[in-house]
Formats: sequence, C-alpha cells, structure tokens
Amino acid sequence: MLDITNLEVRTGDTDILRGLSLSVKAGEVHAIMGPNGSGKSTLAQVIAGHDAYEVTGGSITFNGNDLFDLEPEERAREGIFLGFQYPVEIPGVNNAYLLKAAMNARRKHQGLPEIDAFEFLKLAREKMATLGMDPKFLNRGVNEGFSGGEKKRNEILQMAMLEPRLAILDETDSGLDIDAMKAVAGGINALRSPDRAIILITHYQRLLEYVEPDFVHVLSEGRIARSGDKSLALKLEEQGYEWVREAASA
Amino acid sequence: MSVISLQPDALSRVVDSLSGETPSELRQRAMQQFIKRGFPTTRDENWKYSDLSNIVDISERWLAQVDDAPLEALDETQIREIQASIDATWLVFANGHLHKELSSALTAAAISVTGIDDATDISIDEPLADLNAALMTDGIVIRIGENERIKKPVGLLFVDRAASRPLTSHARVVVSLDSGSSARFIEYHVSSGDANHYSNVVIDVTLGNGAELDYVRIQNRGRNHSQTQRLSVRLEKDSSIRHFGMDLGGVFTRNDLNIDIVAAGVSAEFNGLYIGSDKQHIDNHTRVDHRVGPATSVQEYRGIMSGRSRCVWNGKAIVHKGADGSDATQTNHNLLLSKHSEINAKPQLEIYADEVKCAHGTTVGQLNDNALFYLQTRGLDRQEAKRVLTRAFATTVVEKSPIVELRQLIASQLEARLDELDDGDSA
Repeated sequence: MLDITNLEVRTGDTDILRGLSLSVKAGEVHAIMGPNGSGKSTLAQVIAGHDAYEVTGGSITFNGNDLFDLEPEERAREGIFLGFQYPVEIPGVNNAYLLKAAMNARRKHQGLPEIDAFEFLKLAREKMATLGMDPKFLNRGVNEGFSGGEKKRNEILQMAMLEPRLAILDETDSGLDIDAMKAVAGGINALRSPDRAIILITHYQRLLEYVEPDFVHVLSEGRIARSGDKSLALKLEEQGYEWVREAASA
Repeated sequence: MSVISLQPDALSRVVDSLSGETPSELRQRAMQQFIKRGFPTTRDENWKYSDLSNIVDISERWLAQVDDAPLEALDETQIREIQASIDATWLVFANGHLHKELSSALTAAAISVTGIDDATDISIDEPLADLNAALMTDGIVIRIGENERIKKPVGLLFVDRAASRPLTSHARVVVSLDSGSSARFIEYHVSSGDANHYSNVVIDVTLGNGAELDYVRIQNRGRNHSQTQRLSVRLEKDSSIRHFGMDLGGVFTRNDLNIDIVAAGVSAEFNGLYIGSDKQHIDNHTRVDHRVGPATSVQEYRGIMSGRSRCVWNGKAIVHKGADGSDATQTNHNLLLSKHSEINAKPQLEIYADEVKCAHGTTVGQLNDNALFYLQTRGLDRQEAKRVLTRAFATTVVEKSPIVELRQLIASQLEARLDELDDGDSA
C-alpha cells in the first residue's frame, strides 16, 4: 500500500530523514518509535504533504501512485489520514461542518453523493458515543478550547468518520490519561481491517499494550535503525534508545 | 491654515432654495459654521487616514450644476428586492428625499414619524453634521412611545442613484425611544449608477430610561460611491443598545459611532465587520463616553482586507472623572489577505476615574498556515480552506448581530463578498 524508498528530507539547512525505507501493506499495523528529533513527525508530515519540508531524494508511492504528484487534499481524498500531534484550533468553524466537508470531499472523489444530513448525525453520534465524547462537541469550533485529551479524541473521531485506507497517528497517545488512552485505542482497534493500514508514531510502549502492532520500527538519525515485532517495543521500554543508536553506528 | 470648504455663493444659493420644514435660521447658521470650519482634513488627528478630497470634488461639481438638473430616476427594483427580503417598516430615503410611495404605511400607533421641525435638537457640532444640517432635504423624527415594545424592525433605507452626473445627498434622522420602550432598527445603505455620489447621513438617537435598542447597519453601496455617516446614541439610565455594522461596498466610507453614556446602569455593545478590496477605503471611528458609572461598553470590530484596500479602525473609550464602575472593552482583529492592503488600527483609552475596568486588544495577521494545512489534510482544497478560514474569521463577529431575522441576508451578502475577494485574488 505504502512504499517509502530511500527518502531524504530536509528543512532549511537541516537534513532530517536520510534514506528512510519502509513498506506498509494493507491490514498491517506499524509502530514507529524513536527518540526526540529522530524524524518521526517529519515522516508523518511529509506523507501528508506539508510544504515546509523539502524532499531531496527517494520516493513514496501509495497504491502505486507517486505521492509527490498529489496535493495534501488529494492525498486525503485518496484515503490518507494524518492524526496530528498538535491538532489545530479553528474558531468559527464548527466540528460538524468540518467532518461533513471532509467526508463529502472524499465521497465526491469516490463518485458518491454527499452524505445525507440525518445519516451523518446518526453516524457521528454513534462514533462519539464509543469514544466517550459529548455530542455537544459537534457544534463547537474545531478543537476550540478543547483539552489535550479532547483534541486527540476528536482526531480519532475524524478518522472513524472518514474511514481512511492509511491512518498515520502522530503521538496520538501523548498527554492522555488512562481512560482517554483506552477510548483512543478502542477507536484505533475498531478501524483495524484487512484492507486498511495503520502507522502509530509513539514515544511510549503504553499505547502498544492496547493496540498490538504487527511491526515495530525504531527511527534514529533519519533512518530506520531497527525493525522487529512488538517485543522490540518492550526492549526499548526497558533499555532506552541508546543501544539502538550504538548498534546502528557500529 | 487654509480651510477647504465649498464655494460660499453656490452653497448659499442651494441652501436658500431648500424649502421644507427645517427652520431656515438653523440652515443658515449651520452653513456659516461649515464655511468657517470647512471639511476635516488629514491634518486633523481624527481624519489622519481619511482624505476627503474626492468628496469635496463631488460636492463642488454637484453645486455647480444643481439648479437645472432633473432628478435622477430611481432603481425601484433594487428597493423592492430589499423590502421583499426583509420584513420591516421601511422608511426610504431616495437621493436624500423621503420617498412616501416606497415607504411603508405606519400601522403601529406606537411609532410616530414626523418632520424634522419636531426635533428638539438638531445637532450642528461638527463640520459634516453642519453641512448635513445646511443641505438636508427631508429630515425625519421617529419616536417610540413610553413602554412601547416594537417587534417589527424599523428599516431606514438610504438609496441613492447617480447615473449621469455627480450627486450628493444629506439625510438626517432623529430617533427617540421613550423610557421603557424597545425597538429594533435596520439602517441600510445602497446605491447605483456609474457617476460619483456622496452621501452624508446623520442619525441622532436618544434612549430613555430602561429603553432597549437593537440596531444593525448594512452598507453595500456602489463601487463608485462615497459616504460619511454618523450615528450618535445617548443612553439614559439602565438603557441598552446592541449594535452591529457591516461595510462591504463603496469606494470611500467613513462611519462615526458615538456612544454617550450619561447615566448609570447602561449597557452598550457594538460590533462591526468591514471587508475591503481593490482600492476601497473603509474607516470606522467609534467613541464611547462613560460619563457615569457603573456601565458597560463592549466592542469588537473585525476587518478583512485584500487588493489595495485601506481600512481604519479607531476605537476610543473615555472614562470621565467620577464614572466609577465603568467597564470598557474594545477589540479589533484584522486579516490581511494581500500584502498591498493596509489597516490603521488604534485603540485609545482615556481614563479619568479610579474604579474602572478597561481592556483593549488589536491584532493584524494573515491566514494561519497550520490551519490551512490541517484543513487540506481533511480533503479541502487550498482555495476552499482559505474560504473556510476567512468566513470563520468574519462569522465570529457576524454572530453578534442582534437582529436574528437578518442573519440569513448578512450571511449571503458575506458569501457574495467573499466570492469577489476570490475573483480578485486570481486576477
């Protein structure tokens, strides 16, 4: 589904990704871990199409199509979803409006009619209930005045409504208490399916107790330094990242 | 220092020719005052960014040919469309004259509308108000009786047409809401025609004890037309006003909103939205005088500027000596969509009392790139994302418009205006 080959990315004068390769197939859940500054968020932003980063080498294809030919909104309509580490507050745009606009943009691309207003509300309420969100959030400004946990739940709500083919969740678990963590993990697990892929970017092993990954990768100095199964995450939890760095440079 | 006035002989001839209800003595006094003081110029602190040269020019050309010119035919379709879209008791000022046929028949006994000679006071205290008093055609006095609560909005429609030659109009309205009464007013400015036009409207409102007024002003004049407009509101004990003003059209607009709090318990809320494009100039000057406390004034103005437009927001709050318990808040936010557009924003607080709460905040910025990207990652294209954010910026203050029935109309005018901004961007 997603094939990243020798990706090199810089911002300003700084090289951030230095030949990163990763292949993600439908049905898989990948966790990407790594110390601060290793390039995890950059990878997420580049896949989503942020123009602050300059791609200096390598390629990314999504279902065989060159991702760099597509604008961020086209990637979204193709089914790529990025759950932001810091979801943006947009006062004056209500949540329901954005959800509906996002769904309809995707549906239009798929040749489907706009979603019926009643059906939309029903679906939104249903998803919100499973995430433990008050339906009142629908009528509030996007993320406006939301707590950290509410913002993350809201990202998961958007993901649940949009049913992407590839979901990249950038530190969706950071700053969550245990209840919010469980709700968010439940939302992610509900989305697992054979035709969908999920990339979890996280610092901690904790989320992975609730959402079991098929693969765990460690990012270090702009490359994937190590890959393994979920036991790798446990090892990182015990021993930190230093041994990965040493092993990589050895 | 030279005074920029109008040709005294030509002005005098027109003033003399204006018959009607206005006491001619007042006209003459206003005219003399105006000739002496002249138009405000950019040397005036209050007019620093608003140059009236074009208005002086239109007025001079109008004076030079006023005698023999026939009246302009009105665009009645435009008027009827507005009247059909808003259910109100309409008083129509066409090129400065009260147009009786197009105005609604007054059915409520609670409202009286009479000629300007019924006014207890016709303010001649500033050059443009003086010019207005000298040249006003059909001034009117509207009075809402004691304890009357008028549900249906009263609409003041200022419609001007200048098709073949430069014109000016000077309309004057005096409104009083007697104690315990409440009313809703719509002030609507439109114009048509390709010739230059200058409209100079003066409205003086008095709110009696406990009176409540909701007031919405919409200005959507033709792009060749200029206006200066002054709304003064005097608020007696426990009275309140909620005001919203929206400026979309015109080539040059200057609005003065003066709120005068003369007794305790007053609440004044006034908000506004201005959208400039091309070479439009929109200037909002607000002034609130807290003479007695406790009283509250809150204002929020928002502006969107594109093209080479230039806007001014000057919000002044004066808390006079002894007006303890005054609470004044002023906010002004501006969105610059073009690097050639300009905003001159100035909050001014003058506090002479001890126990007061005052706050002000002004921002000038562009659309937030992070928010644009966020919306794009949700499938909205960049143009649409820009529109969503721009609309949201405006909607925040539009939602404060106090007359609910107008929201649809305001929203659709806003949308049409945002379409124009988009077109301007791509040009």
